Amino acid sequence: MVTQLLSPEDALLVEGLRAGDEAAFVAVMRMYGRGMLRVAEMYVSSRAVAEDVVQEAWVGVLRGIGRFEGRSSLKTWLYRIVANTAKTRGVRESRSVPFSSLGDGGDEGTVDPDRFIGSGERFPGHWAVPPQAWAPEGRLLADETLEVVEDAIERLPPAQRAVITMRDVQGFTSEEVCNALDLTETNQRVLLHRARAKVRSALEEYMR
Amino acid sequence: MRLNRELACQEVVELVTAYLDDALLPDDRERFEEHLVFCDGCQNYLHQMRGTIAAVGRVRVELPAELQEKLLEAFRGWREA
Amino acid sequence: MIAYKFLAPGAVAPFTGFHWPVGEWVAASGRDQCRQGIHACRIRDLPLWIHAELWEIELAGEIDEQPRKVVAERGRLVQRVTGWNEGLAAEFGRFCAARTRERVGFLPVGSGYVGDVDRFVATGRIPIAGFAAARAAEWRDGPGAYEEEREAQAGWLAERLGLGE
Repeated sequence: MVTQLLSPEDALLVEGLRAGDEAAFVAVMRMYGRGMLRVAEMYVSSRAVAEDVVQEAWVGVLRGIGRFEGRSSLKTWLYRIVANTAKTRGVRESRSVPFSSLGDGGDEGTVDPDRFIGSGERFPGHWAVPPQAWAPEGRLLADETLEVVEDAIERLPPAQRAVITMRDVQGFTSEEVCNALDLTETNQRVLLHRARAKVRSALEEYMR
Repeated sequence: MRLNRELACQEVVELVTAYLDDALLPDDRERFEEHLVFCDGCQNYLHQMRGTIAAVGRVRVELPAELQEKLLEAFRGWREA
Repeated sequence: MIAYKFLAPGAVAPFTGFHWPVGEWVAASGRDQCRQGIHACRIRDLPLWIHAELWEIELAGEIDEQPRKVVAERGRLVQRVTGWNEGLAAEFGRFCAARTRERVGFLPVGSGYVGDVDRFVATGRIPIAGFAAARAAEWRDGPGAYEEEREAQAGWLAERLGLGE
């Protein structure tokens, strides 16, 4: 009996999964599959292992779906199972990487300092080489541009990649990401900030 | 000599994510917007950031086909059991 | 309370994109006043928020006077201040340039500021011309001079536009 706490979409998906409905399976995979893989990649050493983790986590999902009470959203529940499975696997591999090092670390700014006027000049910290307006705007919508973006995301460190996928590709709220990945809001935002800055930078190169 | 009156662009770019999340404290938000009033560079930067987010939103997100196959098999197996 | 509001062309709020109706009361929503309140300028705030259109706005409800703006529960655009247009903005820029030249033009680094303000005015970038003029004043004479410069700018705007009369 699916509880009233779930959103209507979530409730439908959960009922569908419980009933063995393949359309529900496809929908869940389309919405959350890639994100689940990205979460797994945060904790283990390789893509192959991450795929194993997703398979293992999926077994856990199927085992637990009957008992799922809907106190958290479906996506949060799914991602937590993946994260927990991945962490256990990561520990078994003796790869317990402290979370803070999963970003690219440091307090450096996200924009090349050479872009700004140096101290001792008249407007220190202001743009020396200001960003230009991207025109024509239609180019941002082209398929080729999408490849640049996907490539930039692939090259991100795992934690940044997971957060930008969940926030900007899959539309999770800040709170949902924090709950699923057990992050503080600040940490989550720092990861998102760095990820977006790198993608923007790649796009800026491309859009010249 | 840095005169600490308003934000400089180098600081503004580090606040963009918090600004878009509506997570800046009121004072910082005001200084951020005040800076944008006169700074085309940062206006463009914010605009580029919004464009980036929109572009990221269009990224395709399928699982690798083989992995999805395996998950489907597991699903069918579980269903039959 | 009567105050002023700079908007983008078409009476659009520059940051939120909100389309302001004319003559109708608009209320802030939500409890966090600074995020949701109606923002407006007193005369002294005008130079900080320069944009394409200037409007007179009537404010009502609880009004919070902050260092660089006022925030009210409700606001109603009364009328457009038609004196504010590109031509006057350019004049304002030249006013800032003249003051900068007078204050720092004869100093070695100061002439750099003069060049900056001139360049901004020549390219129609008026808000930053005002900022640079105030910054140049501060560079030469300290933080008090920044405020002084902004006050002079506000005074010029009020006088030329006939505000507060």
